Amino acid sequence: MTEFFNTTVGLGYEWSWFLATIVGILVIALPLMLAVAMIIYADRKIWAAMAMRRGPNVVGPFGLLQSFADGLKVFLQETIIPTAANKGLFLLAPIITFTVALIVWAVVPFQAGVVLADINVGLLYILAASSLGVYGVILAGWASNSKYPFYSALRAAAQMVSYEVAIGFTLISVVLWAGTFNLSGIVLGQQNVMGIHLNGFGFNPLLFPMAVLFLISSLAETQRPPFDLTEAESELVAGYQTEYSSMSFALFWLGEYANVILMCVLNATLFWGGWLPPVDWAPLYAVPGILWLFAKMLLFFFVFGWIKATVPRYRYDQLMRLGWKVFLPLSLFWVFLVSGVLMWMRVGFGS
Amino acid sequence: MPKLKVDGIEVEVPQGATVLQACEAAGKEIPRFCYHERLSIAGNCRMCLVEVKPGPPKPQASCALPAADNQEVFTTTPMVKNAREGIMEFLLINHPLDCPICDQGGECDLQDQSVAYGRGQSRYAENKRAVTEKYMGPIVKTIMTRCIQCTRCIRFAEEVAGVEEIGAIYRGENMQITSYLEEAVTSELSGNVVDLCPVGALTSKPYQYEARPWELRRTLTIDVMDAVGTNIRLDSRGRQVLRCVPRINEDVNEEWASDKTRHAIDGLVRRRLDKPYVRVNGKLLPATWDEAFAAIAAVDHGGSVAAVAGDLVDCETMYAAKALVRSLGSSLLEGRQTGMAYDTSSLAAVNFNTTIAGTEEADAILLVGTNLRWEAPLVNTRVRKAIKRGAKVFAVGPETELTYKVEWLGHDLSVLGDLPDTVAKIFADAGKPMVIVGGAALKDGHGAALKLVETLNLVRNGWNGFNVVHMAAARMGGLMLGYAAKGGIADLTHAKLTFFLGADEVDYSRFGGFKVYVGHHGDAGAAHADVVLPGASYAEKSGTWVNLEGRVQRGERAVFPPGDAREDWSIFRALSDVMGARLPFDSLAGLREEMYGEVPALRHEGLVSFGWSVPAIDGSASGTIGGYPIKDFYLTNAICRASPTMQRCSAELVHGETFAEAAE
Amino acid sequence: MSVAQYVKAFTLWEFVKAHAKTLRYFFRAKATINYPYERMPQSPRFRGEHALRRYPNGEERCIACKLCEAVCPAQAITIEAEPRDDGSRRTTRYDIDMTKCIYCGLCQEACPVDAIVEGPNMDFSTETREELIYDKAKLLDNGDRWERVLAANLAADAPYR
Repeated sequence: MTEFFNTTVGLGYEWSWFLATIVGILVIALPLMLAVAMIIYADRKIWAAMAMRRGPNVVGPFGLLQSFADGLKVFLQETIIPTAANKGLFLLAPIITFTVALIVWAVVPFQAGVVLADINVGLLYILAASSLGVYGVILAGWASNSKYPFYSALRAAAQMVSYEVAIGFTLISVVLWAGTFNLSGIVLGQQNVMGIHLNGFGFNPLLFPMAVLFLISSLAETQRPPFDLTEAESELVAGYQTEYSSMSFALFWLGEYANVILMCVLNATLFWGGWLPPVDWAPLYAVPGILWLFAKMLLFFFVFGWIKATVPRYRYDQLMRLGWKVFLPLSLFWVFLVSGVLMWMRVGFGS
Repeated sequence: MPKLKVDGIEVEVPQGATVLQACEAAGKEIPRFCYHERLSIAGNCRMCLVEVKPGPPKPQASCALPAADNQEVFTTTPMVKNAREGIMEFLLINHPLDCPICDQGGECDLQDQSVAYGRGQSRYAENKRAVTEKYMGPIVKTIMTRCIQCTRCIRFAEEVAGVEEIGAIYRGENMQITSYLEEAVTSELSGNVVDLCPVGALTSKPYQYEARPWELRRTLTIDVMDAVGTNIRLDSRGRQVLRCVPRINEDVNEEWASDKTRHAIDGLVRRRLDKPYVRVNGKLLPATWDEAFAAIAAVDHGGSVAAVAGDLVDCETMYAAKALVRSLGSSLLEGRQTGMAYDTSSLAAVNFNTTIAGTEEADAILLVGTNLRWEAPLVNTRVRKAIKRGAKVFAVGPETELTYKVEWLGHDLSVLGDLPDTVAKIFADAGKPMVIVGGAALKDGHGAALKLVETLNLVRNGWNGFNVVHMAAARMGGLMLGYAAKGGIADLTHAKLTFFLGADEVDYSRFGGFKVYVGHHGDAGAAHADVVLPGASYAEKSGTWVNLEGRVQRGERAVFPPGDAREDWSIFRALSDVMGARLPFDSLAGLREEMYGEVPALRHEGLVSFGWSVPAIDGSASGTIGGYPIKDFYLTNAICRASPTMQRCSAELVHGETFAEAAE
Repeated sequence: MSVAQYVKAFTLWEFVKAHAKTLRYFFRAKATINYPYERMPQSPRFRGEHALRRYPNGEERCIACKLCEAVCPAQAITIEAEPRDDGSRRTTRYDIDMTKCIYCGLCQEACPVDAIVEGPNMDFSTETREELIYDKAKLLDNGDRWERVLAANLAADAPYR
């Protein structure tokens, strides 16, 4: 792309790089927004179907335009800022959440070579950036100057921090096995894993438990049911976004679902072969890799919705116990286990 | 004193009491339609059937059966229950099922009693009787199909109102109640038949379809249309008084009220003053309270301030005005608007000393210059009662119809000093003689009438037969508060600043100074004033009134004044600040304490004792009574004049106009 | 805990079973209907939007007896009455505050002339609150619009009253 602007259009290298990056961002962000809209619709449809309901069915054919109608409604509403709120931070919080949800996508490889920033520490970048998301939540709760949003923000922060620890150790297992922090490298490392012509660390019996662990942790990280204790819409006052309305509320919503999609993609990328077809068989490579990734993402999103419709909500103490007393020791042990196995495989004992 | 048993409860009742009264004394409720405590016994509805031993083996009408010794009365036996159900079924045979459109619905004796004593359903499947409506005047609406022929209305008209204009024609099932030649009933008490009617046959025409009893807020207060001080209940919804009905007070109004009392209330929402006005270049222009107050404060009165009380104001208003006038350095107060100036050094000499209830006991009554029927209709009913007990009534003044037999002694007041021998003899023989002086004779005949106290020995042990009839609700209170200048209103006309407290009968042309009208209706007073301050009518303030017999009575506020109008006392309180003469009270309670301090008699409700002393007035009587002060009973004050109902009553009953009834 | 339970716990067996169940439901027929396009059958007693009915000759039924106003537990009804020119008792004002109304149906039970009824209409949302304060004209208009259904419903329910 940079080359296109540099040679064909004839701009300087810096300008070309800048324009290319901008175009790249747009190419990722705009379809992502569209995807978020549709994924919300899909979420509602999946949940409805499992409850034998119909879900949205009025706006557009099969209710497909429901999210856009909601978006339009939200856009036309008045933004209410509580008088006691800290105005600046109050408005900043949803922007942080939304922005952080977007910037993570910079390092996600959609296909071989198709990645906005193919950096070596991609995974580290993801961990760092997604950790920033907690600031949006905390600021929203605090700036509202209202006790329920504040409680909710505390719950959310504690939850996100707890599960990030588990996620971190889980990912270390993957990194150890792949030997790189670069996401494209990790994907390529999954080709024909264990020599059984399947693509994905998840097919490795040693790493499969980590795949499950990561799936569950990603539910907690994105505050999806059964870990949606920040909102717990039927039991608690909505959540840290209680005082938000209109577009500021919508930004939280968009950011949340962008995070959900990201987690689906990460699940696919880190454990299930990313853009690679599931089976290492030549004809399957004829299908563009991005479609494989997309299919895997949709599958994981279906799993997310499926879990939401199936599992009842955890209590907060159960949530914390699971994070700190089950996932953390388990993933820590697995790091030892994986590193030990790798040691043995590459170096062998004795020497 | 017969002793008898009612359902096993032994009761003792006075001689002549009926079984029904005995049952009530025993606490048993007997259903009734035709029986009424204040009317003669008819015994034609048969609803009050009870079983009596000894006696024939059939139920007996308890209202018409005298209680006797050793009787045993049963009110709960199957025979009684059966009898009541049967009677109720008969009554309901021809009674239409139009409770939903009937104004009596919700407060109907027939409704209540058919629920309590009737059967669940009717067995009558034939056609019901229908009766054409009758015309009974502008107050009473008739739906005669609903009539159950209890004849209470007939007996009321004959016995209490004294107009034999309601009667029954035909007989049996075809019996119909009607007015004489279907003309308006010419009684100022005709509204009472509406209350008496146990069903919805006679209902109030002005109140027609206005409201249901359950949606009204009831407020107990005092009527101000005349000086009797009728105890009334104002039924209001929202900000409007919809109905006025009498309360029972045996000492004052029994349970009657005049038509004026009942129906002038629709004047409360018409022609009201709802914002202050200030006269600018000869024209009254709407203003704010501050502007109006400033206009008053700008008057250079130099201590020459006066207050003229109208006929309807309460003692609190008069006291507030008095306090303001006094703090501005004056003492010019007057309440007798028409300019009368009788001696008020002894309030007993201008009081109705016999008391209203006491009138019944009189056995010789001399009316001096009073058209009692219009000046105090409910005192007139008491005189009628006295006549029924055998009293003789004589009258000095132009002849008029008083609903009872009166021996007229001409209209020359000099007759007071020289009563005909027959009259003098009757009074000499009388145990409880009574003289009632009306407004027409007070000016010239007050002294002569007072002299009669001596010559006829009116004041004796436990009996005071000297009475003056006032016509204004504010009069006795005003006199007690000192609203009486020696020379009457003429003493006040020179004042530089005059407050008129709802005074609409004053001759304003005599007043030269700055005129401030504080009142509630846009009537004569408001038209002549320089500043108009909107006040509250009697329904819109809690107040104290003293009736003609010196009875202190208090009323409650029923609704709020319209628009910017305020309670009168608070106007004077606010004005006192602007005029630099702050009054020492901030609440009605505070004002009352001040007022009680000055006139302790106002503190307690009930009769005030004025003692008895005769002022030194020239006792010679001369002059003639040309006419009575009230020219039109229905239009005596600003509220009445604003009331369409009163206007129509006046046109129809006083001036003889006929109205075409809407085809029904 | 037995070994089997340990195995069940670590293989998330209960979760898998639950998910199998929800997945089966996912493919089941829907229990709900496609609401705005399909409707469930309605009872003749359904209590929806209010309407004031007329007699077949066009005369309004309401006689301003105020029983509905009295019985209304939410005090949503306001009536003012006065004699019409022909002397009959009629309302000059008949307001129902639909934001107060709890659709209990007591008004139609109380009505002696079947004037105020709750019709079958249940989706009458408005854009402003003011529109939900129904006056007499609106209610009569409702009556005229729904009269055929209202009359049929009343007739259908009559034997059971």
